[in-house]
Amino acid sequence: MKNSRKNRINKILEIPQEVYSNVPKIIITGFDEMIIENFKGILEYEDFYVRINTYLGIVNVNGFDLKLENMSEDDIKIDGKIESFDIERIE
Amino acid sequence: MFFKILFSYLIGNLRIEVTGYYIERFINLCNNNHILTWNVKKGKQSNVLLNIEIKKLKEVIKLAKKVKCKVKIKSKKGLPFILNRYKKRKMFAISLIIIIILIAASSKFIWNIEVRQEEGNKIENIEQDLSDVGLKIGKLKSKIDTKEIINKIRLKREDIAWLGIEIKGTNAIVKIVKATEKPKIIDQNEYCNIVSDKEGIITKINAQKGTAQVKVGDTVTNGTVLIGGWMEGKYTGVRYVHAEGEVEAKIWYTKSKTIKYNSKEKEKTGNEEKKYGIKINNFEINLGKGVSKFKIYDTMITEKKFQIFSDFYLPISIIEKNNKELKEVEKTYTPEEAKNIGVQELQGELEEQIEDKKSIVNKNVNAYEKEDSVEIFVTFEVLEKIGTNEKI
Repeated sequence: MKNSRKNRINKILEIPQEVYSNVPKIIITGFDEMIIENFKGILEYEDFYVRINTYLGIVNVNGFDLKLENMSEDDIKIDGKIESFDIERIE
Repeated sequence: MFFKILFSYLIGNLRIEVTGYYIERFINLCNNNHILTWNVKKGKQSNVLLNIEIKKLKEVIKLAKKVKCKVKIKSKKGLPFILNRYKKRKMFAISLIIIIILIAASSKFIWNIEVRQEEGNKIENIEQDLSDVGLKIGKLKSKIDTKEIINKIRLKREDIAWLGIEIKGTNAIVKIVKATEKPKIIDQNEYCNIVSDKEGIITKINAQKGTAQVKVGDTVTNGTVLIGGWMEGKYTGVRYVHAEGEVEAKIWYTKSKTIKYNSKEKEKTGNEEKKYGIKINNFEINLGKGVSKFKIYDTMITEKKFQIFSDFYLPISIIEKNNKELKEVEKTYTPEEAKNIGVQELQGELEEQIEDKKSIVNKNVNAYEKEDSVEIFVTFEVLEKIGTNEKI
């Protein structure tokens, strides 16, 4: 009840979703940089494979020479040659 | 984030290697404990390389122990580490501070006095007077009162029209304009004669006021009265006046010289040698050998004050000695050649002396040959106006 009212106000004020909720935002700049906002933690990290946990599900990134850079507590930046990425939904 | 990384270079950062099985957990733990990590790179085995701030090292080691990882420091970067490297070189730092203090202290004194004068109107002994009054090399700048110095010097000397002192850095610039001498004008109302100031033969005399005392063709010497300052009338008697008139006379300028047929002359060979020295106040240090390798040589000494900036002089000067090798050359002239050389030299000298070259009437050359030399006399005849006023 409370939550829905909050949602309605936020929608009227057009506040971005990632600001008021834990919904992740994925930004890919070019093919070499990926920023994920509102992430929960790193599940797996290899040179060629990164698995990142978010509140909605898991993001898998495949590529080469992947580097991690924590932007802030809930932002993460992945540097490197990104080949593909997929999403696993948690129902 | 970016500024935090930049700041960490100032306060120091570490690149560490973490080895273990639960690297992902370690990164997450770091994140949850607000530890900034960047440049995280996975190694070949179960290790990861990452950068952290120097302050967080203890916390990181604690967290690594929790997830059973080992921490190894790979490299250190930042200011604290650079400063640490110079901690052992205490003397270096101390001497650096001493030098800075010395330079700052020496900037409080005057190390150079530059006197700027007009070309051709040089005032003699001005440096001596300046130092007597108080503007000396090595004096505190704050103790110099330029106004007082200017007043004192102007009281002391009368031949200065204007004087300015400007202190720039450690350089004191004294600008002086010489006063032209007051022309001695005899008042028109006073009685005066016209008197000869040169020796010669009168060629023209024209008395406008007064009576002519000499005739054309008379020989006059220094001090002879040319035009007397009085007039005689039949009825009025003697009346004194201010003499006026023009007197032109023939004047001889003579110069002589003896030139030997066999003479030794010194000629430059073109070889040069430079030697340097340092002078601190009056103490001189020679760099390199003091004795020249040449047998006969001319020495030119130039002294240059050491300066840091354009107007920041130090009491150290660099002395450059330039030795030029000479060689003796024996020259033999025939009497004709010797005569020509002598005549040319003398004529050149005379022409410099005479201002108005148009007034040269006659040139006379006499040569007397002797056994080993020739004596040459060169005489110029010049028409000139002579005469100065003199009070009766």
